[in-house]
Amino acid sequence: MLKEETRLGLWRILLILGALSLVEAAVRVGWINPFFLASPLQAVAVLWSQVVGGNALFLTLVTLYEIGCALFISTVVGLLVGFILWRYRLIGASYEMLLAALFSSPIILAYPIFLVTFGRSSAAVIALSSIFGLIPIIMNTKSAFQQVNPILLQVGASMSLTRRQMFRHILLPAVAPTIFSGFRLGLTYILKSVLGLEYVVQVGGVGMWLSDAAFRFEVGEVYAGLVGTVLLSVLFLYMINRAELLVRR
Amino acid sequence: MTGLHRSAASVAAGVQTPTGVQTLTVIALLIAWEMIGRTGLLFPELFPSVTEIFQSLWVYVTTPLLLPHLNASLYEVGGGLLLGTLSGIPLGVIFGSRRSFIQVMEPLILYLAVVPKIIVFPIFILFLGIGTGSKLAVAAIASFFPIVLLTIAGMREVRPVYLDVARTLGASKFQVAAQVYLPAIAGYVFTGVRIGLGASVTGALLAETKIAKAGLGFMIVEYYSQFRMADMYSLLLLIFILAALANWAMKALFSRLLPLPRGTQDAGVFF
Repeated sequence: MLKEETRLGLWRILLILGALSLVEAAVRVGWINPFFLASPLQAVAVLWSQVVGGNALFLTLVTLYEIGCALFISTVVGLLVGFILWRYRLIGASYEMLLAALFSSPIILAYPIFLVTFGRSSAAVIALSSIFGLIPIIMNTKSAFQQVNPILLQVGASMSLTRRQMFRHILLPAVAPTIFSGFRLGLTYILKSVLGLEYVVQVGGVGMWLSDAAFRFEVGEVYAGLVGTVLLSVLFLYMINRAELLVRR
Repeated sequence: MTGLHRSAASVAAGVQTPTGVQTLTVIALLIAWEMIGRTGLLFPELFPSVTEIFQSLWVYVTTPLLLPHLNASLYEVGGGLLLGTLSGIPLGVIFGSRRSFIQVMEPLILYLAVVPKIIVFPIFILFLGIGTGSKLAVAAIASFFPIVLLTIAGMREVRPVYLDVARTLGASKFQVAAQVYLPAIAGYVFTGVRIGLGASVTGALLAETKIAKAGLGFMIVEYYSQFRMADMYSLLLLIFILAALANWAMKALFSRLLPLPRGTQDAGVFF
């Protein structure tokens, strides 16, 4: 008897393979013009040739570098600002609303401002993507400290813990899961922002490759780039989810 | 205590509220920006003064200069949201109708929701060309994900006991749908549509900045390439104001119709 999770996983794989087989058949039979739609096998073959002989790996590294830089900036600034917003209540209550308003606005459309300021380079992508990651990390850090059970702090005080011990043994374990949720959200937004901006601005890594292939009307490469981008996004989300499970344990 | 002292004390008390701090922050930012713009202290070509930006905004508001572009963008955003809604709600209802469907489909949709939708734009260009159709398609796919996911979330909230009671009372399928499912999912669907609107705006306008012949996004890039910074900033400001107004109007309308669920995401993550 298969485990529930394995059975569900098999169903998902079957669904994906079924959909891809339909597309493959539609292109091969000629229902869809291959000028518009590359068959999945062709897309995978082009992707593989780019990984083995082309510069797909280098472009992936560029994308990962941008994601890493944006995440580093978001985390450092986000944790600090989130802590300050929790520590000083008036400032926290005042700026939380402004941050939420900024978060729900289409800030990605402001990318030309970043292009003018940083030039058409990875720095512009990193700077704007950092803002996407920053806001959820700030909000979650603030709410993590707010949600710490006061009884835990009273227990710490009754055991005469120093400020450092209180932070290390009580505050940190209590806030870690919520902060990690913000970190997960931030990383997801950074991933979307980096890949989207790379495509729109045509700089950097995988997104730029996709844009470049579309510009040259290389249909196989467009779909290969698309498959690569989807795989990268899915892999990232899977790793983030696994890491969150580990932190919550 | 003199009247002057009293009014000074009340002003000081007013400042020490979140609204006071927010107002002061906005005023301070505007003054700082105006000074930077006027003195040319920091990147003189990049930061025009606030006065110039507002003058440009006034031109947009009082003349029909942007009207054709606004029309194109509204068509793409509205059409995209309509398509996203018409496909997202039925699929959400189907996927959410059985526990096994939810378990199989929801993770797949969640994983796909993380992929930036703008990257599908070259495929839509291949099929639909560089006119409004391809942007409408990006807007549709961007708005589809929040709508389908929140519809599934709403379907999950329907408690089996309600269905049992309805069946025991001999309710027909239509009555179960209208009296049990609809009230349970309506709040979620409305929230999904509202978030879908934001996703639709971002998707369509971002696609316009890539390749287009008309639209507000197209104009942003035009002004950027002509280095007309005041016009670019004012247009961005106008888009932000319009998006906030649309979001607020939808929220107000939906909350009048029924109480909205709490704790749902409210962000531009679905672009």
